[in-house]
Amino acid sequence: MQYSPFFFYILAFVLIAASLAVVLARNPLYNVLALVVAIFSLSCLFVLLEAYFVGMILLLIYAGAVLVFFLFVVMCLNLNTLNLNSAAQSRFRVFGTTVGLMFLALFGLATKSFIKAQALEASSIRGTIETIGQILFTNYLLPFELTSLLLLIAIFGIVSLAQGAFSTGKDEPIA
Amino acid sequence: MITLGNFIALSGIIFTVGLIGVMTSRTVLKVLLSLELLLAASNLSFVAFSKFNGDYAGQLIVFFVILVAAAEVAIGLAIIVVMYKRLSTIQADELKEMKW
Repeated sequence: MQYSPFFFYILAFVLIAASLAVVLARNPLYNVLALVVAIFSLSCLFVLLEAYFVGMILLLIYAGAVLVFFLFVVMCLNLNTLNLNSAAQSRFRVFGTTVGLMFLALFGLATKSFIKAQALEASSIRGTIETIGQILFTNYLLPFELTSLLLLIAIFGIVSLAQGAFSTGKDEPIA
Repeated sequence: MITLGNFIALSGIIFTVGLIGVMTSRTVLKVLLSLELLLAASNLSFVAFSKFNGDYAGQLIVFFVILVAAAEVAIGLAIIVVMYKRLSTIQADELKEMKW
């Protein structure tokens, strides 16, 4: 397949700008909405890589369910009025930025020789529902079933946490 | 021509932004959002390697990462709601009940 550089650079620009907005925006609502934009452009990049199934799953589960859940929590907690007094910056601001940039430099050094060493051509695989599903239900059946167990345990955890949220903080029996 | 290096560089940049966000944000909600950026960056490199190596395993790993991340976000947001009910704040600095 022939990658079109134009689409890649547009999507990469949107992705970087949106992820910067996730970290830098002050309003929690804007953070979540910027993450929606970032996930959407990431999904478009997956389609550019011909990973259609994963791209659609990302769009459905992340942008559709997880980030809407984030929005619910932000709106329910009414965080916009809460955080206005947090003008003081984190103590780890300089430290965190330094460590992040050091990581980026190390990452660049580590991958530069590696990428130069193998100039890989794009293969012709297409991650459609058919091909992914065929592998998922044969070679990866056990992890797939274990994922359902994980989701069940997560539901138990959320229900017990939510019961704790509506008690008054003392150890009172829950009706 | 877009090669593997372009995708890996983009993934590294997104990961760095998320890493800075995790380490510098003050509210627990923003830490969770930055964690999502970290996962997105690693997903991008998985899919890029999958495409350029001709192996479907990378895309399957991304599928599982998305499912586990959904569970993680649900638990994390439940903890945030409980924290807000108990402490009336979601500042990470206020979580010092276990500090001796």
